[in-house]
Amino acid sequence: MSQSLSDPAPQAHPVHSRWLSAWRGARSMLPLTLAVTPWGILAGALAMDAGLAPWQGQVLSVLVFAGAAQLVAIGMVQSQLGWLPILATTALITARHLLYGMAWRLTLLPLSRPWRLGLGFLLTDELFALHTVDRLKAFDPWFALGAGLSFYLGWNLATLVGVVAGHSLPDLTHWGLDFAVVATFIALVLPGCRSRAVWGCVLSAAGLSVVGALYFPQVGLLVASLGGMAVGYGLSRRADARESRG
Amino acid sequence: MSLGLILAMAALVFGSRYLFLVRRLPLRLGPRTLRFLSFASPAVLTAIWVPLVWVRDGALDTRLTNPYLLAALVAMGLALGQRHTLVTVLGSLLAFFCLRHWG
Repeated sequence: MSQSLSDPAPQAHPVHSRWLSAWRGARSMLPLTLAVTPWGILAGALAMDAGLAPWQGQVLSVLVFAGAAQLVAIGMVQSQLGWLPILATTALITARHLLYGMAWRLTLLPLSRPWRLGLGFLLTDELFALHTVDRLKAFDPWFALGAGLSFYLGWNLATLVGVVAGHSLPDLTHWGLDFAVVATFIALVLPGCRSRAVWGCVLSAAGLSVVGALYFPQVGLLVASLGGMAVGYGLSRRADARESRG
Repeated sequence: MSLGLILAMAALVFGSRYLFLVRRLPLRLGPRTLRFLSFASPAVLTAIWVPLVWVRDGALDTRLTNPYLLAALVAMGLALGQRHTLVTVLGSLLAFFCLRHWG
């Protein structure tokens, strides 16, 4: 790897401004870190409910760090399904991260490998939503690191609470803690609906996702996501064409 | 759940996050692809939360007493009315637990 390619932005930072950037990242992420807490508690409690050992519940959050995949896998372990269906489902649920990685590619390629490995590991729905494509021009790795790491810590603390509380509150898994996911994602998506293209994207993804959940639950998320993206893309091209015509 | 399975899951999830950040991957992204990808976040997040609200145990739940549905409407109102993530999340969570408790 040539020296000129590695790490331009981070090395340009003096130490104090690195910390400041990381701190600002953690602060920007804080609403999402707090909002994900009920979900993390649920992930820990469900693991206990499914008969996993406490360390297994925690290691899932430490290593996998993906709420949806963890919850579904725990449910499948509880239903005594084998490795193959669990891993196949994990692959489908996690496929959306490929889209995120692709969207970040051009921005992150100039960074050194440790940076790309680290930010790649921390690339969640929430961290990606904090760096939407139009904001990537001002991408600051230290900001993203602060945001991603604080979110990681919050997720794991919440899991720990769920693991501990899951023992004493067995009905914790029926509290509807998963509504936190609904609330967070509405808060992330709706304020960004400022054009017909984004509305079209969101509405068609919504419709397709319901059909998917009812009739083909395994691939529903993927199909609905790609369908919504295609509609948004088509509408934005049409808007461009109209604009250029005057 | 064995450590082996957890490690395999971790490898899959990390692989999907890191794959396109690999420099040697022969992939050029044009402006059209990037524009398509700019819709990834709203599309994926919507496709995750909408079924949580409308689909219960594999069936459509359109009851107006469905607390998920009512609290989601509160969240939408809050999200369109103001831009603070935390206000939207806490307000609709509060509405949700009130609805579950007294609904």
